[in-house]
Amino acid sequence: MTLFSVSDLSIQIDNKPLLDSISFDVSEGDYLCILGQNGAGKSTLLKSLMGITPVNSGRITIDKCPFKAFSQKQLARTVSYVGQRPPAIDMIVSDFIRLGRYPHHDAFAVWSKSDQSAFDSAVVLTDIDAFLNRHCATLSGGEFQRVQIAAALCQQARLLLLDEPTSSLDPHHQGEVHALIQQLNQAHHITIIEVTHDLNHAIQHSRHILALKSGKTLWYGDSDALLAAPILSQLYDHPFVTLTHPETNQLIALSSEITR
Amino acid sequence: MNDAKRNLSLIGFLTLVIVVITPYLGLSEHLAPGVERQIFCDIRLPRLLLAFIVGAGLSICGLVFQAMFHNPLATPFTLGVASGASLGAALSVFFGVSFSVFGFSSTSLFAFLGALITIRFVYSISTLNKGFSLHTLLLTGVAISFFFSSLILLIQYLNDMPDAYRLIRWLMGNLAIVGYDTIWPLLPFVLLTVAVVFYLSNELNLLTTGDEMALSRGVNVTQIRSILFFVTSLCIGAIVASCGPIGFVGMMVPHICRLLIGQNHRWLVPASCLFGGSFLIVCDTIARLIIAPAEIPVGVITTLLGGPFFLWLLIRARAPIS
Repeated sequence: MTLFSVSDLSIQIDNKPLLDSISFDVSEGDYLCILGQNGAGKSTLLKSLMGITPVNSGRITIDKCPFKAFSQKQLARTVSYVGQRPPAIDMIVSDFIRLGRYPHHDAFAVWSKSDQSAFDSAVVLTDIDAFLNRHCATLSGGEFQRVQIAAALCQQARLLLLDEPTSSLDPHHQGEVHALIQQLNQAHHITIIEVTHDLNHAIQHSRHILALKSGKTLWYGDSDALLAAPILSQLYDHPFVTLTHPETNQLIALSSEITR
Repeated sequence: MNDAKRNLSLIGFLTLVIVVITPYLGLSEHLAPGVERQIFCDIRLPRLLLAFIVGAGLSICGLVFQAMFHNPLATPFTLGVASGASLGAALSVFFGVSFSVFGFSSTSLFAFLGALITIRFVYSISTLNKGFSLHTLLLTGVAISFFFSSLILLIQYLNDMPDAYRLIRWLMGNLAIVGYDTIWPLLPFVLLTVAVVFYLSNELNLLTTGDEMALSRGVNVTQIRSILFFVTSLCIGAIVASCGPIGFVGMMVPHICRLLIGQNHRWLVPASCLFGGSFLIVCDTIARLIIAPAEIPVGVITTLLGGPFFLWLLIRARAPIS
């Protein structure tokens, strides 16, 4: 069933077009990766789905209801978002994660059983039990990324938007976050849209890929088919070779040297 | 959480002690019993009440601004909102506008408009260049403050001597009142502001984590910000119109409260009210005792305390979050 449908979405800021008639569908349980160069409009697209960046034209529907019919609170019960630049949070980790329950609360709501169970399962899934009582500012990049994801999970939304969740992490912590996203998608049926520069991760783990170039759709299709379509070099203006992984026999992309 | 509750009760207790003790300070025993009673009821008590209301109101507005702009230096005073209110009030006096709406004076109305227009203006300048910039916000606020101060000086210069003197006294911030007439038009605005801010505690908690984060958790940031701009302008306008701009309370009190209570606005709002109210009572008591029988305007005392505090904040603060 289609959860999220975007058709002909365009965004301009100061008459500068950032996104130009983008269309795609995300069905329940899907995992879509968005690829593209820096400045291609990936983050803008993600932010527009969270209502952070206003849309100039086009149609977004959630469960066939128009996007504009949702209040910000209703939207936050369906969609959660982990942004790219983590802001400095002056809070204890557990307090920060509790804020994720906001869309389920009215002004004087008391912390209920369902709140606690959402909190507990978010903490267990992201495995952050050990630093619940620490201050956010003292966490390492990988730890804070998991805390951010936990806070978003606390919202119990069906769709999780992730903006380059692994770009500042070392290979070990990248692997950890990738495994977490996989688990959320497969075991917990959370629909995921992820912006990433990690090509091979996108090809191996996601189901669909949307490749953006200068605000336009360059390619959109099943992840397996990306390497068969010779668009990678064009997408990044950079030479790539594809080869077979010696252990898994899967096709992988390798960035080649720029020859001058 | 337990620390927060304990510190809040401590603040509550100290407030009670201050409220009970300060009105008796400086009461002379040589007066006839009737006179003493009259001083206590008609001068001391209303003044105590006024100081508490004004201190609480200023602190709440400071708390809101610090939360909205994620920085302890962002307050109604540093952002020029108080200057805007002062200019509005000075203009209404200068042009001799005098009417009242439901018992609220034209001076209050002008001060409110001055505050609201200023914060709207300063905020819109700070978002001109691709999203919000804290630097631009603070710099615009400072620039606007100076600009408005000059305009007020001009008004002062154009006024005749007695009016100019009154204006100067008022600009220094003053709580010296007789009777309750000043308090009644002020109280509803401060109460309204405190109630609205308390109601929006959850939203303020989220706003401290940044606009983008707040939006993604479901806060309608634009709407909440408009409401907060409106009520804080009401509060600042009403306070400035009746007591003049009393500086730095709105910066010091909420910041100290954050250190004591943490970041949860459900506790911070009552804590800032109590702390702010009793802090201004203490400052006012100092102001009337230090060179008794003469008095120093209370704004002088708060600014003398606030200046060094501001510097301490600047030195202590890590790089401001932008």
